[in-house]
Amino acid sequence: MKRCERHEMDKELCKPGVHPDRSLDITRRIFLHKTLLTGTMVGAAAYGFFPLLNTIDIAGAATGENFKFAWISDTHLYPRELNERFVEKTIRAISEVKAMDPPADFLIFGGDLAQLGDPVELKLGAELLKDLDIKQVFIPGEHDWYLDMGDLWEKQFGTSPWKFDHKGVRFIGLNTIGQAPDYWSAKKMTPKERMGHMATLDGSVAGPWAGLGHEQLKWLSDALSDWPKDKPVIIFSHNPLYEYYPPWNFWVRDWREVHEIVKPYKNITNIHGHTHQILYNEIGAMRSIGMLATAWPWPYAPEGVPHLTKPMIRVDPGDHFDGLGWSKFTVPAGAMAENEYVMWRKTKDLFAEAAVDSGAGDNVNQELHPRTADKIWPY
Amino acid sequence: MNGKNKRFVLMGASASLLIASIAGTHWAMSHTVPHTAEQLKAFHEVFMEQVRIGDLLFHGDEETQKTLGVNLSNTGMACAMCHPFASDNHPYEFPKFQEQMNEFATLRDMINWCIEKPNQGEKIDPDGPAMKALEAYIYWSNRGSVLDPGRH
Repeated sequence: MKRCERHEMDKELCKPGVHPDRSLDITRRIFLHKTLLTGTMVGAAAYGFFPLLNTIDIAGAATGENFKFAWISDTHLYPRELNERFVEKTIRAISEVKAMDPPADFLIFGGDLAQLGDPVELKLGAELLKDLDIKQVFIPGEHDWYLDMGDLWEKQFGTSPWKFDHKGVRFIGLNTIGQAPDYWSAKKMTPKERMGHMATLDGSVAGPWAGLGHEQLKWLSDALSDWPKDKPVIIFSHNPLYEYYPPWNFWVRDWREVHEIVKPYKNITNIHGHTHQILYNEIGAMRSIGMLATAWPWPYAPEGVPHLTKPMIRVDPGDHFDGLGWSKFTVPAGAMAENEYVMWRKTKDLFAEAAVDSGAGDNVNQELHPRTADKIWPY
Repeated sequence: MNGKNKRFVLMGASASLLIASIAGTHWAMSHTVPHTAEQLKAFHEVFMEQVRIGDLLFHGDEETQKTLGVNLSNTGMACAMCHPFASDNHPYEFPKFQEQMNEFATLRDMINWCIEKPNQGEKIDPDGPAMKALEAYIYWSNRGSVLDPGRH
C-alpha cells in the first residue's frame, strides 16, 4: 500500500489531477536559470522534483518586485548556563540571516523559541533576536506557551493569528498550538507539569493538541475573503496543516476544515516548523514545506511521511550542527517562493536516494503504543 | 525518604520476593512443564517494570535518575528528544562497527556514547540497573523488528 493511501486525508485529497499550479514548478525554473548562467545542460533527474537548494538571486531579472525573507524556528532555548549549544546554534542562524545580501525583507520566527516556556528562556530568545535589525514576525510553538498559557509570549512577541500584505503576497501567521483540550485541570497539574507533558513529543497525556479551533478557522476564512483567488498566499504555522503523524502532533486536528477554506485559492503555500526535518507535501491545491530546527532533528515518523517528500540523509549524532539550520526564501514577482534549506552539514548532500540512508523506513516495524510511564498515572 | 523513593524500594523488594519465590518453587521445573498463567504474568510484570523505569530515564525523569544514582545529561537533553518512541535507535543492528565511535560496539556502548556526547552527561555502569532498564525500554519499543546485527 502506498503511504498516500493510508490516511483519510489522502483518500479525500489525493485526487488524480489535483495539485498545485504547475506553472509555479519552482525547480524547473531554477534549472532554466542555471542552464542559462552556466551555458551547460543540467540533468533534471539529479535534483528531482523538490523545490529547494541553490536559490539564485534573480533580482532585476524579472519584471515587478522580487524579495527575500527568512525563517528560523525550533531553537528550544534553555537558560544559557544549562545549554550553551542551543544558544550557539540560535546565534549562528541569526548571524547568517543578518549576513544575507541583499537582505531579507523580514524574518518569520516559527515557534518553539523556548524549551519549557520559562521567562528566562523567552527573554534570552528576545535578547538574541535583537541583533537582527530587519522586521520580525512571530508565531508561537507549544514549548513557548503552556507554562503561563501564552501570557509572556504575547506580551513579548504579539498575538496571532495575523496577516499582512507584502509586495503582492498575502502572508498569514496562525496559532496552531494554543487550542489544546484541557488535560491539566481535572488532574490538578502545576503549570510546570502541564508544560512538561506538552514538551514531551511522544507523550500521550497532552493528546491531540494541535489545531486552529473554530474561531481561528473563521478568522482564516475572513482573512482570505478579500484576496483574489489567483494571487499568492503564504501561510505560516507551527504544525503542518495536514495529517502526517498525529501521535506526535505532526498535523492540525482540523486539517479538513483548513483545506475547505483554502480550496478556492490557486497559489497557496504552507510553511511550517515543529517537525524538525525536510518535508514536502501537496494537499489538494496547497503545497506544504517543512522547516529545519536549529536545536535538534527529529527522525522521520514510523508512518505517514508524505510520498512527495524526498527525505534528508540521517544526521550524524556526533556533530551537533548536522541536519539543522534555517531557510531562505526568494519570492520572484508573480510566482511562489523558492526555498533554500541552509543546512549546517559538512557535506553538500542533503537528500537520501535510498530509504536506508534517510532512516525514513526504519521504524515501520514498531508497534505503536502510549508511553508506558504515562499509563501509571501519578496524579 | 520521600514517597517516590519509598515506591521504588517497595517495588524493588516485591520484585526480589517474586523472583525468590519463583526460583524456590518452580524454577527447576520451568522447562519440563508448561508455565502457569500466573508465572507468565509475573515474569511479564518484572520485565514491564524495567521498561517503565527505562522509559522514565529515557525521557530524562530527574527523580528516577536520582534514585538510581545516574546523571544522563547536563544540558537538559534527554534521549527521547532525538528518539521519540525510541525510534532511530536500531537496537537490532548491534553489535556492529559504530562509525561515530570508530570501533565495534554493543548497544550498551552506544547508549553510553550518547549519554556522554550529545547529552553531555556522565557514563553509566554498563551492567548497572539504569543501563538494564534503558536497554529493556529500547528493545521493547522496537519489538517486532528483525534482528540484523552488523548492519550499518
